[in-house]
This record gives sequence, C-alpha cells and structure tokens, in this order.
Amino acid sequence: MRVALRFEAVTRRFGRRTALDGLDFRAPTGTIVGLVGPNGAGKTTAFSLVGGFLRPHAGRVEILGGEGFDPWRLKGRLGVLPQDAELPDRHPVGALLVHLARLQGLASPFRAADAALEQVRLTDRRREPVGSLSHGMRRRVAVATALLGSPELILLDEPMSGLDPMQAASLRDVLAGLRGQTTLVVSSHDLHEVERLSDWVVMIALGRCVREGTLVEITGRAEVAHWHLSAPVDPADLERLLGAGATRVKGEEIELRAGTEAALDAASVTLMGWLASRDIAVRGIRRGAGLERRFLEAATG
Amino acid sequence: MTALRDVIWIAGFETSRALRTWRALSLVAVYCVGTGGSTWLFIQFIGLLERELATTLGVAQTDVPGAMLGQLVESDLWRRILTGMVGSEDRGDLLVAIPILAIFHRWVGFLLVPLFAATASAECLAIDVASRAIRYEALRTGRTPIVLGRWAGQLLLSAVASLAGAAITAGLGLWAMVGNDPVPLALALLDATARAWLFAVPASAFGVLASSLVKSAAWARVLALGGVVGSWVAFGACQLASARGAPWQAAVADAMVSVLPQAWLGGLWEPRGVIAPLALVLLGGAITSFAAIRFATRDL
Repeated sequence: MRVALRFEAVTRRFGRRTALDGLDFRAPTGTIVGLVGPNGAGKTTAFSLVGGFLRPHAGRVEILGGEGFDPWRLKGRLGVLPQDAELPDRHPVGALLVHLARLQGLASPFRAADAALEQVRLTDRRREPVGSLSHGMRRRVAVATALLGSPELILLDEPMSGLDPMQAASLRDVLAGLRGQTTLVVSSHDLHEVERLSDWVVMIALGRCVREGTLVEITGRAEVAHWHLSAPVDPADLERLLGAGATRVKGEEIELRAGTEAALDAASVTLMGWLASRDIAVRGIRRGAGLERRFLEAATG
Repeated sequence: MTALRDVIWIAGFETSRALRTWRALSLVAVYCVGTGGSTWLFIQFIGLLERELATTLGVAQTDVPGAMLGQLVESDLWRRILTGMVGSEDRGDLLVAIPILAIFHRWVGFLLVPLFAATASAECLAIDVASRAIRYEALRTGRTPIVLGRWAGQLLLSAVASLAGAAITAGLGLWAMVGNDPVPLALALLDATARAWLFAVPASAFGVLASSLVKSAAWARVLALGGVVGSWVAFGACQLASARGAPWQAAVADAMVSVLPQAWLGGLWEPRGVIAPLALVLLGGAITSFAAIRFATRDL
C-alpha cells in the first residue's frame, strides 16, 4: 500500500503534558482519511507537525515520501487548513489567495486563486476584505487556501467547524469530489461526518492511535446489517429462511450477519423478498456498526 | 532564486498589509506630526535668530522667517548652532551649502526614523505568531524568507513614512518661509531622507529581532523601543569610557562602539562616503540574522 503520510512513534510534549505519545498511523495515497478522536486527543498537534509549525520530540513523520516537513521539497504539494489560525484580515480575499499561490510557486496564481474560490463558492467575494466576511465564509476562505493549486496531500483540521448545515453539505460535496485525485486527511470529532466522507479511518485517543483501517473494516459494513421493520417477526421463521446464526431478532429490529459482503448482499435480497411477501415494510437499514460505537470500543479497550 | 522571489513577494505583501492597518498608519501619522511639528518650531526658531541678527546688524526686522537666510548662514551664530547639531566644527563647515531645512530634517530624521522603524517592525512577526496567521506563509516557504521579506517590507514602510515626512517639511518650508528654492530644497530633503532611512536600518532589524523573540506585539514594541533608546545610552557610556575611563575600559568601549549604529552617524553627515551606509546595512543584516535563527527554531 502506497502512503502519502506516515507517523512512526511520534512524540510531542508541551511542558509536562504529552500531546502525542508514540503516535503511529498511515494515510494511504488517494484516499480520504478521517482522523477522529475526542478534544485533546492530539489531532491538531499531529497536523501542526505535518505543516512544520511544530517539531516532534521523538519519532518520524514521513510526508509524500520524504522525512519531515521541508518547505522547499513540499512547495505546492501540501495544503493544510490549520484549526485556529486567523487569516490576515485586511486584504481582499482574492489578493490573499494570489499571495499564497505565488508562495506555492504556482505558474498561474490568479487562475489558481479563482479556482479555489470557485470550489468553496466564494467567487463573488473575491474583492472583499477577509475581515468583512462572516465566520463561516472566513472558514471557507481558509479551506480555499488548503485547496489552492490542488496539492497532492491536503490536511483539513475541523473543516466544517462554524459552517451552517448548507455550507457544511456543500463543502462535503467538494471534499468528496477530491476522492482519488488527492490524499485528503480530515480531522474531526464529529464521527458521523467522518463516516459519510472517509475511506480510511484513524482513531486516536490520548496521543496514540487506537485503531486504523478502512471504514468498511472498522465498522464491519461488509458483514453486518441492522434492519428496522414495521412489525415484529418470528426468529424461527428467519432461521428457516437464512440459516442458524445468520440473524438476531429483537422486536422490530433484525441484525443480519454474513461472512462476506457478497453473502450479506445475497441474504439481504432474500430477506427483502420474504418481508415483502408478508407486507412488512422496511423502515431503515444501517450497514455495520456506527463509527461512534467502534471508537468507544477501541478507546476504552 | 525561489527564496529570493519569496522574499520579494512577502516584502510587497507586508508593506501593503502594514499600510492597510490602523496601527501602522497611526505610526506614519505620528511620525509625520512629529516631523511637521518640529519643522514648524524650527522655522519659528529661524525667525527668532533672524530678528536677533537684524538687531545686531541694525537693519529692519522681517515678519516671515527666511528673509535673512543668506546672512544667517554666514553668521557665527549659525555656525555654532550647526556645530552643535552635528557634533563637529569640520562637519558643520561641510554643511553650510545645504538648505537649512534639509539639515534640520536630517537631524530630526536621525532621531525619529529609527524610533518609527523599530516600533513598526516590532509587529511584523509577533502579531501573526500570536494569531497563528503566520502558518499560512510558513507552510509555503522557508522561515528565513519570511523574516527577510517582512524586514524588507518594514524597510519599505519606513521609506514611505520618511518620504511623507520630507513632503511635509518641504510643504512647510515653502509655505511658512521665504528664500527656499523648491528644487534644491526637494533634492536636499530627498538626500536627508535617504540618510535618515539608512540610519534606521539597524533599528528596524532590532524591531524584527524583538518580534521574533516574544509572542505579544506590545512586548515586542517595548523591547524594540528599549533597544533603540538603550543603544543611545550605550553609545554615550562608551564615549564616556573611551574619553575618561581606564585604558582597558577605553579599549572595551572602542571595540563595543562599532556595533552601535550611532558610531556610524558621523559618516552620514559627510557629503559622500559609502563606509557608514555599508556598515549600517551590515549591522541591520547581522541583527536580522539573529532574528532568523531564533524564528527558525520557534513553534508557530
């Protein structure tokens, strides 16, 4: 597996407090990686190490095939949205992006700035000073700085923070559209958001990685489905239909299990037909366990 | 080459950013008011001297300053004042041909431009480190180009402020005085502005150094101003030790004084000469190098 970003036993302290305590994780190239963890888990510190804003006290960070942050090697190849960094607020949005595009060494800084503004749907605000924008719009400008010039690796620290639901949905679409084109690492403590967006999930708690893998592996989406029905069913009927141990019934809830994704799909089709023949409606299906449950299991051992 | 290009982009952005902020604009305004106010007082002083000279010569007094400039410049009184301003009789003799206002502007510039440059430069890193806005540039270029670019931007800002001060002096000279030829006055003021700006190069670098050491812009300003005032105190102490101290004290003072900008001030009064400007630029560069070293290892 090719990786765009790798942390190996990385430790970073702030005085007596250890923010990262031997953190190990990988971000496979071309995937959307969700970095999840509670507040204070070390997500922002990890991002700051990648952006070169902080240095590790031990361990190594491999970025796009090279050791550590090097502004000259990574010029134009790395985009980072820092969580708490304020934007210089006196300049017009367009002028700020053009300045940053020039520092990235982009051949057409004006075109790159326009494209980034287009992505976050702020083209009409190009001439307005950053300071005159609402909090949500400023956040989108900050996201635009990270997307500028389509870097190979983009890290977004809490990108949806401060956005209203429409803005968040729109940004989610933009980020989903980058799948396969770039490696995107998104940190969030909103696990539903990560679940909707990510292919690969890294769970960190107290500065350590507690679990990492594909979203399908972690949530068990290939093996388990939870069905919510309009009426209760008899477990014995389901055992006859799908075999012993394939289902667990609790009132109107069915947990359907299979060894592979294909087997789960086949069992689902059979079950759907059987329910239809008995006029039982399916009110909802959820594949796998929620990321939240998996995170709690991993974090509490 | 890429690093040099980044320095130029950052310098341009820094200057335009400074000119968009009220803090920098207020500093430019304070400098202009200081220059304008002191020039106006100086013009009144010239008027006073001329009235005294008229009484001595037994001629009619004039109401507008400048009517007796020719006689004033040739008088012993003016020569004594000039010697007092530049600290040496020989240097005073060299300046007789320069318009009086330009000499005064040079003198005021040597006092005020370093204070302006140090105060303005003290903001250039600290304020963005505190707000973390520096991260947007730090991700895209090396830290040394950031320090050098911001210093260069502040030097440009000092040049803009100095030119604005010179324009005010020229305006006052032509409005409140007679006997000033516009073109020679403008050229002499430009020359004075360039010299004052050169003297402010180390002060601006000291502001950048202060800005690289602390996170609070207010503390950086205090440090920077303290540094500029402290350099005058240190220069005075070195001169005293050199003149009146024991031989070893004099030797130490003579060695120390060369790293103070004031040691090169005499050279800036000379009509020509490149040693003093070169030394001041090198001194500024050396101070900024310390800032770059500190900034390179700092958490952002």
